[in-house]
Amino acid sequence: MAISYPKDLLRDLLEGNLSPERIWEIQHAPKDSDRCDKVVSLEQERVPWSERIIVCLQEHLYIVEKRGERIIKCSCGHEFGDYRTNWKESALVYERNPQDGEVYFHTRAADPDFMVLREFYCPGCGSQLEVEAVPPGYPFIFSFLPDLDS
Amino acid sequence: MGKLKEAVIAKEKSLKERSCYEDALLFKEQDPIQFEVLYTKLVHSVLNAREVAALVSASPVVREMGECVFGLYTAEGDAICLSVGLMLHIHTMSRMIKWMLMNDYEEKVGIREGDYFFNNDPYIGGTHSPDQLIVTPIFCEGELVGWAGGVTHVPETGAVEPGGLPASATSRFHEGLILPCVRIAENEEIKKDLEVFVSRNVRTPEWWLLDNRAKIAGCRMIRDEVKKLVAEYGLDYYAATSHEYIEDTMRATKTKAKSVLFPGRYRAVAISGVGRRLLIHVPLEMTVGRDGQLSCDFEGLSSPGAHAQNNTLPATEGVFMCAAIQHLFYDSRYNSGSLYAMKLNIPEGTVCNPPNIFYATGLLSPSIATGIVWNDCLSRAYYAKGYREEVFAPNVVTVGMHCGGIDQYGRMFGAFNMEASSCGTGARGVLDGLDTAYALWNPEADMGDAEVWEQILPIVWLGRGIQPDSGGFGKFRGGNGIESLYFVANTNQAEMGSFGGRLPIFTSAGIMGAYPGSRTYRNIVQDTDLKARIADRLPLPHYEGEMPDKPEIVRLLNGKAELMVGRYAARPVKEYDVYYQTNGSGGGFGDPIERDPQLVRQDVANKVTLLSTVERVYGVALDSTTLEVDLEKTGALRAAIRQSRLKRGIPAKQYIAQERERLLSGDLTKVARDLYDDILKISPKFAGEFREFWDLPEGYLPSDVSDQKTPGGSV
Repeated sequence: MAISYPKDLLRDLLEGNLSPERIWEIQHAPKDSDRCDKVVSLEQERVPWSERIIVCLQEHLYIVEKRGERIIKCSCGHEFGDYRTNWKESALVYERNPQDGEVYFHTRAADPDFMVLREFYCPGCGSQLEVEAVPPGYPFIFSFLPDLDS
Repeated sequence: MGKLKEAVIAKEKSLKERSCYEDALLFKEQDPIQFEVLYTKLVHSVLNAREVAALVSASPVVREMGECVFGLYTAEGDAICLSVGLMLHIHTMSRMIKWMLMNDYEEKVGIREGDYFFNNDPYIGGTHSPDQLIVTPIFCEGELVGWAGGVTHVPETGAVEPGGLPASATSRFHEGLILPCVRIAENEEIKKDLEVFVSRNVRTPEWWLLDNRAKIAGCRMIRDEVKKLVAEYGLDYYAATSHEYIEDTMRATKTKAKSVLFPGRYRAVAISGVGRRLLIHVPLEMTVGRDGQLSCDFEGLSSPGAHAQNNTLPATEGVFMCAAIQHLFYDSRYNSGSLYAMKLNIPEGTVCNPPNIFYATGLLSPSIATGIVWNDCLSRAYYAKGYREEVFAPNVVTVGMHCGGIDQYGRMFGAFNMEASSCGTGARGVLDGLDTAYALWNPEADMGDAEVWEQILPIVWLGRGIQPDSGGFGKFRGGNGIESLYFVANTNQAEMGSFGGRLPIFTSAGIMGAYPGSRTYRNIVQDTDLKARIADRLPLPHYEGEMPDKPEIVRLLNGKAELMVGRYAARPVKEYDVYYQTNGSGGGFGDPIERDPQLVRQDVANKVTLLSTVERVYGVALDSTTLEVDLEKTGALRAAIRQSRLKRGIPAKQYIAQERERLLSGDLTKVARDLYDDILKISPKFAGEFREFWDLPEGYLPSDVSDQKTPGGSV
C-alpha cells in the first residue's frame, strides 16, 4: 500500500519538531509519492503572498508563477527575477574574511588568501540564503536549475 | 584470447550499446521469492566473511574500527553483492579482477582453484597502497563461475613516512611496498618467500601478514558457501541470476532517482589542496533526467601534480559510488548495477584520473571531495522534491595522525590510528548532524578504543572528546568532529605527523545559508614540562578548551609550541612531546539565526557549543549562569543581525564589477592565480564559463595580467 503522511506530520518534519527516532522511521519507510505536492501546499500556507509555488528551490526561495512568468521569490516577498538566471546575481553579497573573528575563531578559519566566505542575503529581509566557501575570484555557483516542464 | 577476457569485452560492449546488463529478468520473474532467497544467502556469506576476518586480523583498524569489506563477483569481475564496511571497494575489486583478465592472467599466469591474488596498486584496483585486496577464483564443475574478494586497510606500508599515508610523497615511489596483482598463495598455501619479503620492507609486518590471512579466510568462506549454493540451486541458475542481480540494480537505480529527485541541473564545488602551496578544484555538474537518468560530470578537475593528493580512477569511482550508495541507493543491492546505471565523467589527465602511474596517490582528498559535491547536489534535488529528511549537508575531507619509529617494546613500528573515522556528519535538512560519528569512506567505521592503541603504540591519550563548535553553524548545525590530545611515551626514537587535507581552507561546505565546518589542524608542543607536571600533580591539558585561539596545551604547558597549518610530514618526536589533532566536522544547513534558541541552550549545556559563540553567531541571548534563554533579547539581537547584513551587503552586480576589475588588474593571491591558470588551460568548458561570468576577454589567464607581487601561497 502506498504510504502517505498527514500534513500535520509533514509540517512538524519541516519545522524540525520531530524526534530523531521518528525521522529515522520516515527515512526507513518507502517514500510517500505525494510528498512534493503536500510540501508545496504547506509552504504555500506559510508565505504571506498568493502567487502559486511551482517548486521549493531552497530555504526561503521558491519558484512561483506570476503573470505567466516563472520567477524566484523569497518568503518575505522579495522577487529575484527569472528562474533561469542565478538568483545570486540579484542578491546582496558580502565577502567575509573568514579570520575576521565574527564567525570563526582565528585558528579554525580559512586563510583569506586561499578561501573567502561569500554570504548572499535577501535584499528584502536580510535572510542569509547561501554561503559560498571559494577561492578569491571564483564565479558564483549556479546551484540548481530545475527542469520545470518535467 | 582467454574465455573470460572475451566475456569482459562482450559485457562492456553490451553496456555501451544497449545501456543494460541483461535484456530481461527471466529468473526473477519466474520465481521472485527464490530469486531473493538466493541473494540473501549470498549476502550472508559476505557478511559472515567480514565478521570472521575481523577476528583473524591483528590490526585495531580492522578488528575494532571496521576497515574491511568482502564481496562476491561474477566470472568477468562485476560485483554481485558486498558486505557492509569499507564499501568504496565495491568497484575497486571489480577493476582488479578485470585488470587481471584483460592482462591475460588466464593464459600467461594461470588461474586455478586455491589461488589467492593480492593487489595494492591503486591504479589497478583499490584506492591507495594501504587498501589491500585479495581475490580468489570460484570453480564449479571445472568452470570459473565467480570470484570472492576482500579488502582491509593496512595501517603501515613501508613508505617514506610511517602509517601508509605519506603526506610528503611526490611520486608513487615514496609510497612503500606496492604489489600489483601478485599470486600470494596457491593450493591454499601462502608463499613463504613473499612473507619474508614483506616482513623486511614494512615497519609493522604483523598487520600486513595477518590481514592477508584474514582476507584469505574470508574469501575461502565465501567461495565454499557459493559452491554449496551452486550445488543446491544448479550452476545454470546461479550463473544466470548472478547477472540478473546486477541488471535488477540498474533498473532500481533509475527508478529510485526518478521517484525522489527533482529533475534538473545541479552544480557544486569543493576545494582541496596541498600544504600552503596548491589548491585543487573538484567541481560537479549533476543532471537528473526526466527518466531518472543520473549524469555526474567532473569536467574542470585540476591537473595532477608532484604531491600525495592525486587519486586514481578506481579510487575516485570507488569513493564517489560509496557516497552515492549511502545517500541515494542505500535501499537497493550493493553491486555494480548502480555504477553502470549512472553516467560518470571523470576526465583523463586530471587529479582524479592521472595520465600515468607515476603520481603519488596516498591522500584521498580529491576523491572524498567528489562525495562532498555529491552531497551538496543531491541534497538540493531531495529538497525540491520535498524529502527534507534526506538532505545531508556536505561532509569533510578527513585527516588523522600517523606515527612510527621504535616503540615502547624496542620494536620498529608504523601506524595510522584511524580516528579520522569519527568526524562530524553534515547537518540534515530537519536536524543537526551527528558528532564524532562518521567518515564518508566507511559508513560502518568506529573510532576504536584508545586503550587498545596505547598497548600497541608509544602514545598515551591525555584527552579525547567532541570539539565544540567545529561543525558548521546553521539552523541545523554540522556534527562536531573528534579532538585528541596525546603525548609520546617510553620512546625517544619516533616520528609523528598528520595526513589529509590540512590546508588553511574549509572543506565541508554549509548549504542554504549555513557555514562550513571548521578547518582541521593540529598543534604540537615539544620539549615540554609534562613529566614534571604529572609528578607534581599539577593540572594537565586534556582538550583544546574554551579558548581555541589559546589552547590548553599552550596555556598549561611550557615548551616549544607550534600550530601546524599546512605542515604535515612526520617530524621527530620524543618522550612527553604533546600532539593535538582535530579530524574534521560537517557543514551546516540553513541560516544560523533561525536556529531554535533551545537547541543552542542545550548545546551549551552539553558543552558542544561554547558560550562565546551563541550571541555572536546564533544571535541568542543566554544567561551565562542559568543558561536561560531571553527570547525578547534574542529577537532584538537577530533583528540587529539582519539589519547589519542589509547594511554591509552590496548588490551582486556591483560586487561582480569590482571583482572583475581585480581579475583584470591581476590582484589575485598566488594560490588562486595558480588554480585558475591550471583549470582554464585544462578545461575549455570551465574557461568559457569563467570568462563569460566575469566578462573577461578571450584567452584571459590570471598569470598574464598578474604583477606577481600579491601575497599568499608561501610554502
